[in-house]
Amino acid sequence: MKKDSIEIIKNFKIQLDDKLILRCIGLKSKESEVNSSIKKAITEEKERLPSFIHPTALYTIIPYEETSQHSIFKDAEKLALCICTIGPELEREVSKLMAKNELLRGLILDAMGSEAVESIAQQMDDILAKKARFMNLWPSKRYSPGYKSWGLEGQKFIFQKLPAEKIGVRLTESIMMVPRKSISFRINFYSEKTHISRNVNL
Amino acid sequence: MNKIEIFSQMERSIIDGNKQEAEKLAKYAIENNMELTKVIEKGFVPGIQKVGQLWEKGEYFLPELITSAECMKAAMAILQPELERCQISTKSYGKIVIGTVEGDIHDIGKNLVASMLSANGFEVVDLGADVKLDKFIEKAKEINADFICLSALLTTTMLGQKRLIEMLKEKNLYGKFRVMVGGAPVNRKWAEDIGADGYAENAMAAVQVMKNLLNN
Repeated sequence: MKKDSIEIIKNFKIQLDDKLILRCIGLKSKESEVNSSIKKAITEEKERLPSFIHPTALYTIIPYEETSQHSIFKDAEKLALCICTIGPELEREVSKLMAKNELLRGLILDAMGSEAVESIAQQMDDILAKKARFMNLWPSKRYSPGYKSWGLEGQKFIFQKLPAEKIGVRLTESIMMVPRKSISFRINFYSEKTHISRNVNL
Repeated sequence: MNKIEIFSQMERSIIDGNKQEAEKLAKYAIENNMELTKVIEKGFVPGIQKVGQLWEKGEYFLPELITSAECMKAAMAILQPELERCQISTKSYGKIVIGTVEGDIHDIGKNLVASMLSANGFEVVDLGADVKLDKFIEKAKEINADFICLSALLTTTMLGQKRLIEMLKEKNLYGKFRVMVGGAPVNRKWAEDIGADGYAENAMAAVQVMKNLLNN
């Protein structure tokens, strides 16, 4: 990849784990104890899911000099920045379901949307970690703005560096991403393996 | 079928989350000129109350709760026009204005709380998400609300809950409406610190806390 180039990826495989969905909708029973109407709703919404999601990610890799040189980037050689989304359609469908008093299906579809965008973020995390190793650098874990010592204003930094509108994502005045089912993150790339970096299976 | 059997079936339809059955029974009640206030109080309400008890016992979880709330709302959607046509008023626990505070676009949790409250006999005006704080107060004054319920998902937007209470104080309206707060970053201490009347960590708890507040 050319330095500072922007890449868009769309070919994600989204496979959702029923256990995660059950946990996400607040069901603590064992899978075998879930009542049949809830199981049926999950199966049916899972079948409908692909028509409401458009998995897309946008990323760039920039040198440390182009960062804000905030302490969270300290010692990093490069920085990968990424925004992932499933697009706005699922949220619209969830709103429609809620308005039609289909609360359970709305909740299930919303949970599936959360898991789908998390799946994209995980796949991008793997892709970017491998890119780090191909550059002979060591990747950190992924960090999203608003977590640990990176404040929510970190969103502005990511959105300055990435043309998010190309994948239909924008920031509100209160620094929230629209569509809501979007995830942004950074990975620091270090020149040496440290306690912060992680192993990557190539 | 006698009335007791029908009431029992109504209760069962809510507990089982059987929407079609609840709707069928609501229609049956209208077609057979049953006393609709009794249908609600002795048929459907005991069902949603039992669901609350099953939740407290840890036998029901969120999906069962909201499925039952769906059934209750579906039955009420059939009964309500008939009640209005006959100018029959039903028991309301209180009027609520609910919404997600300005700057916050999340609404799933708030929607579930609104639905649970509605299913449990509260009159709910849902203002949606990203609601200007002024709008909560205007609407509460307009409908003479008992509660203003404020949802926020982020630490940045939960400040709106604090601000709304400050605004109520500035307008000499503090105490006129009870203020409930909720959302992922919100806890009891936050509610106490900002002067909210109540806090609930989930939809069912909101119903219980609000009923308790009304009884105090």
